[in-house]
Amino acid sequence: MSIVKAASSRAPSSLAHRRKADPVKIASFAALLITTFLMLLPLFFMVSTSLKSKREMLKFPPTFLPESWAWSNYTEIFDTLQFGTLYKNSLIIGVLTVIGTLLSSALVAYGFARYRGRGNQLWFILLLSTMMLPYPAIMIPQFVLFSKMQWIDTFLPLVVPAFFGSAYNIFLLRQFFSTLPEELFDAGRIDGCGELRMWRTIALPLSAPALATVAIFAFIYSWNDLLTPVLYLSSSDKFTLPVGMASLTSSRFRIPPWHLLMVASVLAMVPIVTLFAIAQKQFVEGIVLTGIK
Amino acid sequence: MNKNTMRKRSALLLAALLTTAAALSGCGGGKSAGNVATGSGNTGNSGGSDEQVTITHYTIDSEDRTFIEKLIPDFEKEHPNIKVKVEKAPYEQFDSKLQTLIAGGKSPDVTSHYGYGGFAEYYNKDMLLDLTDLIAEDGFKAEDYHIPDNLMKIYTVNNHTYGIPVNMYVTLMLYNKDMFDAAKLSYPPSDYEDKSWTFEKMVEEAKQMTVVSDDITKTQYGVDFTWAERDMRPLYFGAEPYSEDTWTNGGVPSETHFDSPEVIAAYQKLFDLVFKDKVSPTSEWSKSVAGQNGDPFVAGKIGMSIGGSWNLAGANDFPFKIGVAAVPWGGNDKVRSTLYVDPLLILKGSKHPKEAFEWIKFLMTTEVQEKSIELSGGNPPVNTEAAEAYYKHFDGIDPADVKKVYEGAVKYGYESYNHLITNYSQINDMFINELQPVETGHKSLKEVMPVIQSKVTEIIKR
Repeated sequence: MSIVKAASSRAPSSLAHRRKADPVKIASFAALLITTFLMLLPLFFMVSTSLKSKREMLKFPPTFLPESWAWSNYTEIFDTLQFGTLYKNSLIIGVLTVIGTLLSSALVAYGFARYRGRGNQLWFILLLSTMMLPYPAIMIPQFVLFSKMQWIDTFLPLVVPAFFGSAYNIFLLRQFFSTLPEELFDAGRIDGCGELRMWRTIALPLSAPALATVAIFAFIYSWNDLLTPVLYLSSSDKFTLPVGMASLTSSRFRIPPWHLLMVASVLAMVPIVTLFAIAQKQFVEGIVLTGIK
Repeated sequence: MNKNTMRKRSALLLAALLTTAAALSGCGGGKSAGNVATGSGNTGNSGGSDEQVTITHYTIDSEDRTFIEKLIPDFEKEHPNIKVKVEKAPYEQFDSKLQTLIAGGKSPDVTSHYGYGGFAEYYNKDMLLDLTDLIAEDGFKAEDYHIPDNLMKIYTVNNHTYGIPVNMYVTLMLYNKDMFDAAKLSYPPSDYEDKSWTFEKMVEEAKQMTVVSDDITKTQYGVDFTWAERDMRPLYFGAEPYSEDTWTNGGVPSETHFDSPEVIAAYQKLFDLVFKDKVSPTSEWSKSVAGQNGDPFVAGKIGMSIGGSWNLAGANDFPFKIGVAAVPWGGNDKVRSTLYVDPLLILKGSKHPKEAFEWIKFLMTTEVQEKSIELSGGNPPVNTEAAEAYYKHFDGIDPADVKKVYEGAVKYGYESYNHLITNYSQINDMFINELQPVETGHKSLKEVMPVIQSKVTEIIKR
């Protein structure tokens, strides 16, 4: 709006034109507002339910705002669920997964983008075809492998695979690296750069948007993953957030404590929102440039 | 630097990276990974009883199951050579984790059929240890643990025992006293021998409590009849959809009769509650009031709710007064209540079956069963002596009523089909999907039941 104002003050002659366009602008603005409101409604109910008492939660029709604000829900979750431990575990695994994915995928993608070796295409197709294997298909063989390596009930099976690349992210980064002009690397080579140094000082800094995208994807994937931690972790003090939250609705014989589950959801959202806020500029650019979201 | 060697080296590096990545993501096959040392926790000898052994109890990660962790210290004091470890998973992932653990050679020792799959599924997948010899060797007698004989028989196949019953849920009626008072109706009886308490009478009373209004806050229904899983419901009216041999051969029916006139008529009576008598809610209404898997009774919108006795567990939190009553007589003189008896099972992969059996016996003692009621927040014990404490567990509900309802349910009870029939989770899913159009009023039973009949036949053969 302020841009429109500034423009009009500079060019008074366009005033009539602006007035004509107004209804359309107002309509589109209203439509956007309504859509935003609809999109935010579930989020609003999540926050609102997280502040309701156990009794109020069962009420029908549900109340819009809590009748009495049960802030104690936010402390209760730490007692009933060892929430702090779960949160810490999820963060450790999430951060390590991001580091691993960035390092390995960027390296492999760089190779695919820069080298025209023999069988390059074949390797790449092979790599992409691993994307077609659903997790349940490899679940048991992978479990047997990690169990023989004595990795059960450790974070290793959740973190180490990230250090060996992921097909989707390699694909994404390769597309990005391919767009970097060859001249930059020629210049680097003339100045005596080795391949690894070119990767580090030329390719990576120029690919910040793509790397931010990969980081967010990797973090969200790890943050939300339920099945893998369920399979590999057996001590409660190693459980991750999704495992703990799933246990709240696990009883077939009790009314699930939705209010606590909503508290957990609100708190679980914090790192994702923070990460997005930090990387937003890069992320949006990444989507625009790679055409992928 | 020579560009060619450089390329070659990088290609090699790349190849190595990719191969490792492939192996790690599972397509490289596990056997090449060298190191064949066996698992850590469960090793040790089952031979000498003095040697320290660890057994694993696999269960659902929810408070009403994990309370067993609090019983471990007492057990370990009594059995210094046995350590008990509890391994848990959320309900939805219970079966996947169990299958993976077994396939990965990390089988737990003790568990129950807490996931989607029932006893028959475990039995037919050959996952269970035959306990007959263990029981004989140990001198275990069901009566010492106050386990009724008819319940012991549920998990006995061809005279071989595969499970020891530990908890028993029954089907009962919960009623909203406030709604009965408002309609000036007398409360339904808890006595199964009261012959006046019939399905027809229930429908009559339900009509007097039902209010259908455009204002969704005023709408309420008289009865919600969710007796057993969908495929078992004809039994309530005396129609038997599965052939007799199912119950003796480990859950593989030689014939099914879902398209027979009796079975279709039985289902018709149930759908008439919704569409003809209009005393029961549609599934859409229930979902809009109580959420996807919720119970509208909890919201105070249902007069009588027929369902599993687990509904009682939340009773102390309901914002209205409730009572328990017998399931009315519906035309079957032998069966009026579905039983859900959970057994403790020892898995075939157990390395320490003897020690596992000691743990099971400990959990069955009257003292521990009584303690478990409190710790679990109201799990009903199989042990009849401990059951007395269970009947008294619910605020504002007469213990005498709970006792009558339980005893009647056992007398007129039949174990839930979901524990007794093979591939049950697939049968159940199919039923939910196929009956959906009938529940929403888009198809008739006559159209749907022949399809169900052919699909059941196909699933059982898998």
